[in-house]
Amino acid sequence: MKPTGKELKTMQRMQPGVQTLSGFLGDDTRPLNEIIQDDAIVLDRLGRTQQEVAKRMESLTQASWDSYLEGTLVDGKYLVQTEVYRGRMPCPFGHPGIYRKAVTTLTNQGNGITVVWTSLSMHMIGAHGFFEGRGSAYRLEPETLIKALFD
Amino acid sequence: MLITILKDTGVITGVSGILAILLVIAERWLNNYGDCKINVNNKRELTVKGGSSLLNSLSEEQVFLPSACGGRGSCGACKCKVLDGGGPVLPTEKPFLNQAELADNVRLSCQVKVKSDVSIEIPESIFNIRQFSSVITEIIDYTYDIKGITFQLEPGETIDFQAGQYVQLISEPYAKVKQGVTRAYSISSKPDDVNAIQLIIRLVPEGICSTWAHTQLKVGDKARFTGPYGDFYLRDTDADILFVAGGSGKAPIKSMLEHLAVVGTKRKMTYFFGARTPKDLYLTEEMESFEKLFDDFAYEPVLSHAAPEDNWQGKTGFVMPFFKDAIRDPKNTEAYLCGSPGMIDAVTKSLTDLGVPKEKIYFDSFG
Repeated sequence: MKPTGKELKTMQRMQPGVQTLSGFLGDDTRPLNEIIQDDAIVLDRLGRTQQEVAKRMESLTQASWDSYLEGTLVDGKYLVQTEVYRGRMPCPFGHPGIYRKAVTTLTNQGNGITVVWTSLSMHMIGAHGFFEGRGSAYRLEPETLIKALFD
Repeated sequence: MLITILKDTGVITGVSGILAILLVIAERWLNNYGDCKINVNNKRELTVKGGSSLLNSLSEEQVFLPSACGGRGSCGACKCKVLDGGGPVLPTEKPFLNQAELADNVRLSCQVKVKSDVSIEIPESIFNIRQFSSVITEIIDYTYDIKGITFQLEPGETIDFQAGQYVQLISEPYAKVKQGVTRAYSISSKPDDVNAIQLIIRLVPEGICSTWAHTQLKVGDKARFTGPYGDFYLRDTDADILFVAGGSGKAPIKSMLEHLAVVGTKRKMTYFFGARTPKDLYLTEEMESFEKLFDDFAYEPVLSHAAPEDNWQGKTGFVMPFFKDAIRDPKNTEAYLCGSPGMIDAVTKSLTDLGVPKEKIYFDSFG
């Protein structure tokens, strides 16, 4: 499907050097709607929704938020730590609101998978089903993320 | 048949062309708002070219409202009262305005287009905010991801700020970054140095401005910033002081201590700096030197992840358990906190539990 004007504008904001140093699309050459659709298919196959995934990420992030200097162990196996930096970041989709510059690292000690996300990642997954383009700094492969969050 | 098709196509093309020309003319005519006047606080009248946002129009006239998103309507930082003109409140503004603000004519200046004369009200302190040009005179590596950078103002220029305030640094295009961005950093030097400021800048992963400052800036380079901004500043009272900071949160506290060193103080002060490991500590000698300078000052670095091989002899864990011994009269204690929101929340709770009045707890939670 040909990108709409709104998508083109969003993709422009996702380019390297506009909001972040390397942007949100990485070296992915697919149009934005295809990136989102392809990841939605994976989510559907795994029986999860984007909102469910984002909610789980938010709950783990919140747990680490309170323990600001050290990681915290959730449910005995999810080791999660959040590093907060100065500043906030707007959503490249043009939503109102800005998101803290915070990087959360989760290690599922059960299966050894480690994933890293930002406050903006949680919003983009929950509200837009966008896991970022392949090769971007914070790209989250839905299958790996689901294994890290729910296994 | 072919002639008819060509004729029809020609007619359609001609009509489309005329419409396009009419549209261009209409747009120019309709969007030409001419000169508009912005009345500020009934004290100043600015004449600007109509059609631009209120935020940009003010900025072109050297009146700088704070903005964290560059005027995209996504941060809500550029609020001001629009008393007359400005049109109706837009849907893009409503998520950022509460009922009281709407009733009080508060608007997002980045969303208000100046199409006619406008009357606005802004805090008087905004008039002190200016854009500065500077030259980098010193870059110090404090830790593996924190640098102290000194910006010397142009000859004859001075800056007037309060210890604890911040500026917005404007990065320049580099590598794939085609446009500069503005990012907020606390001033770490004392306000008594009016010809230069120092900023303590932590490298943010994927950060455009911090990466520029860390990888591109060299001594001798030029840099611009606007400021000063913020209501996190040292109060001039006799109350005891508890400073608490983490990471690059050391910057405004350093400014406050250096200022107190110049003006002199008898206040009892304790400074807790929370970090993970010894490699996250910096400016330790400078902070400890204040212990000799002030009558009653203690610097207490606290590490949460000191390893046995670090041979760390100081305090460990979180900073909160140590407050009790540092506070002699909670009601007469002010706290100045700078760090992550998690730290601010935990420290505020601990201090209020100990009886420190909430209104005496001032903080900068990394905006």
